[in-house]
Amino acid sequence: MKTFLGFGKVLVLASLFSLTGCGTYNRLVTLEQAVNKKWADVQSVYQRRADLIPNLVSTVAGAANFEKSTLTEVTNARASVGQVKLDPSKAPTDAAELERFQQAQGQLSTALSRLLVVSENYPQLKATEAFQNLQAQLEGTENRISVERNNFNAAVQEYNTALERFPTNMLNKMFGFKPRPFFTAAPGAEKAPEVKFDFNKATPAATP
Amino acid sequence: MRNRSWSLVLGASLAFGAWCLEILRPLALGAAVICSAVFANEAAAAEVIPPKPAAYFNDYANVVPKEKARALNEKLAQVERETSNQLVVAVYRKMETDSDVAGYTQRIAQSWKVGQGEKRNGAVLFVFIDDHKIFIQVGYGLEGALPDVTAFDITERHIKPRFRAGDFAGGLEEGIDLIVKAIRGEYKGTGETVQEKRAPASSGCGPLGFLIMLIIVLTIVRLGRRRGGFGYTGLGGPFISSGWSGWSSSSSSSSSGGGFSGFSGGGGSFGGGGAGSSW
Repeated sequence: MKTFLGFGKVLVLASLFSLTGCGTYNRLVTLEQAVNKKWADVQSVYQRRADLIPNLVSTVAGAANFEKSTLTEVTNARASVGQVKLDPSKAPTDAAELERFQQAQGQLSTALSRLLVVSENYPQLKATEAFQNLQAQLEGTENRISVERNNFNAAVQEYNTALERFPTNMLNKMFGFKPRPFFTAAPGAEKAPEVKFDFNKATPAATP
Repeated sequence: MRNRSWSLVLGASLAFGAWCLEILRPLALGAAVICSAVFANEAAAAEVIPPKPAAYFNDYANVVPKEKARALNEKLAQVERETSNQLVVAVYRKMETDSDVAGYTQRIAQSWKVGQGEKRNGAVLFVFIDDHKIFIQVGYGLEGALPDVTAFDITERHIKPRFRAGDFAGGLEEGIDLIVKAIRGEYKGTGETVQEKRAPASSGCGPLGFLIMLIIVLTIVRLGRRRGGFGYTGLGGPFISSGWSGWSSSSSSSSSGGGFSGFSGGGGSFGGGGAGSSW
């Protein structure tokens, strides 16, 4: 009779696994793919920003005696962003790795926002169409970064929640699924730069 | 045999116990998840996403004359028929959010699903009269045809000057024309809007429903005859006529000229592309 007791338990557990195992595995694969896809989107918008910078720097450098230190800061920050390249096709599993990436991008954000603040002191530069267009592009890129980061976090949240849920959590170790780290809102540094485009200041004559 | 069923009960209760523990674990994790989820949607607090509009041109602030609004609505519906691009205009009094206009309007456009499915070719021109803000949200599929620089050029150098002069209708019309010009040629239209495509699908049931109704009626009529003909004409008559008129009216309303063209989102999505201005 003892064997029956053991047999019963095994039977119940085995049927549980066979019922949920296959569908669960497929679901986790789908969710993990979604996370990786969103990660690729995040990477591409960050890349888009990096691509804009040479153009921005050359436009700004053309302005008469523009503050050199802010320009070098942007150039350096962009260089250090290039050094913490992560695999664009696979979302990081290591939180520290993502943190390093985030920090480098955050520095670039800070440097860029400083550059735009400094440019306020150069009304002739600000009045040029080239600079205004670059600002619009930069602002659009910051918007895209914030959207894609949110999308990525949402995908990670769904995936991580699925991993933690019963009975998936009993299976995920077996299949080797790992939870993924989120983007975090670091105080100050990682906030999208407060880019204020107040073109009205350049032309005080026009009032709303 | 008794032992066996007992072991099954025990097994089941063990599984249930494990399940309960697993319920508790997410609860404990819940706090952490919520904390991390807060940044996931930064503007969750005190933000109102307005409901999906029923038209292409929506003047909730009453700054455009009715006739003009109707004409612009038809123009935008025609744009979808010809190019499949969904361009929606929404004029509000105020923003109902704590976040910036770019993030707010992105979430609105995303929730409306402006743009057709896989093409994701939607764009929404937002205006907040009291906030003095204009923003063009551009769907993923139109980012190439309507890049940020173009969107910015339209809001800053074309719409803004007219708005400053108080000419809202003129500014909106010029803005619409420029956006339409920019996105024309990117995709091909089918001659129908998303809503018109859906309408025939539902009225496609009409003839079939009519046929089924006819069969039922005829059966009743026949049964009635066999049983000695009780009031079948009184029953059959109205059935036929109501079935017929229901079908014909639904098919004519979707193609009638001079009517109002309604808007239905086609499942598009937005990634933060576009630009805006303040006036």
